[in-house]
Amino acid sequence: MPLVAAFACPHTPQLLVRPPTEDRALVLRVHEALGEVKRRLSAARADVIVLVAGDHIEGFFLNAVPALAVYVGARAAGEFGRYRYAFDVHEPVARAIVEQGIEAGFDLAYSQQLPLDYAFYVPLHFAMPAAAVPIVPLYVNVYLPPQPTPRRCHAWGAALRTILDARAERVALIASGGLSHFPGTERYGTPDFDFDRALLAALAEGRGAETARLTGEELDKAGNVELRTWITLLGAVGAARAEVLCYEPSWHHGNAVVAWPV
Amino acid sequence: MDAHYFFPPAAAFPLNRFLFALKSDAAVRARYAKDGEATMREHGLDDATRAALATFDRERLVGLGAHPYLVFMAQVRLTMDREPTTFEYF
Repeated sequence: MPLVAAFACPHTPQLLVRPPTEDRALVLRVHEALGEVKRRLSAARADVIVLVAGDHIEGFFLNAVPALAVYVGARAAGEFGRYRYAFDVHEPVARAIVEQGIEAGFDLAYSQQLPLDYAFYVPLHFAMPAAAVPIVPLYVNVYLPPQPTPRRCHAWGAALRTILDARAERVALIASGGLSHFPGTERYGTPDFDFDRALLAALAEGRGAETARLTGEELDKAGNVELRTWITLLGAVGAARAEVLCYEPSWHHGNAVVAWPV
Repeated sequence: MDAHYFFPPAAAFPLNRFLFALKSDAAVRARYAKDGEATMREHGLDDATRAALATFDRERLVGLGAHPYLVFMAQVRLTMDREPTTFEYF
């Protein structure tokens, strides 16, 4: 069955735990857009949500840094402050992704023991349907160089689409990340919102394939190392035209919620 | 120009491992809040590193090879522990 839904969501923890530095009205507008994702996910009656996210050096430390990985444990659990999350993992789909992904030439790492990163559970906090759906966490290395190239991420997304379309389950795909932000650097207060706006305009015209030609250096300069998760999704959705549900630039972060018809 | 998120130098591994622990391990944060100097020594950090951590000076820590994101989130988690009531929880 072809994919039933595709979205990109931000995951900045200030959406979950708001410090006084954050504009409350802006945060609530992003929540509203994520609520629209929840409505659409529910209407799509997804059997499984496959999430592509970058690890924030939480599941993987410097003991092992996989470029691309799949979590294939029975449950995926993580915590942030007072929040505790645990999701069922859709093991048959997770395993199909590992086995068929490797068969297709992508040397995926896999794990059955990782604390789940907030890049996965922040979007799900706001967008998981009321009747919880099992997930499959897919990892793309974004913060520990050398990261996978945009070209490789795009090719992986295309291969992923082939694997998912062959499944009997109704699969929704979510990329978690971005847009421009520079946590921990001298650029924290000056994201590249021009890059974000040009990107969203291109995606609205169905020109997602152009992102495969970006370089890692360009992503780093634009505060968009996490765009690799979107580029992976773009490999899966092809020339579909993006619908921008919100773009809310805060003083340090371009919050974008986007949907694709699939 | 180096990337904002640069390759973590091997010499900075003890510092990055400590920042990772501060970010991800509530018990280490609690111990650090109680006795910072002893906690840093237990983690094998040298004099320059302990001095930079004492003021949590981002530029100095990154100059020592700390991953910028780890500096950022370790500080966020320490602040969340120290000032929980200043945050709004959704």
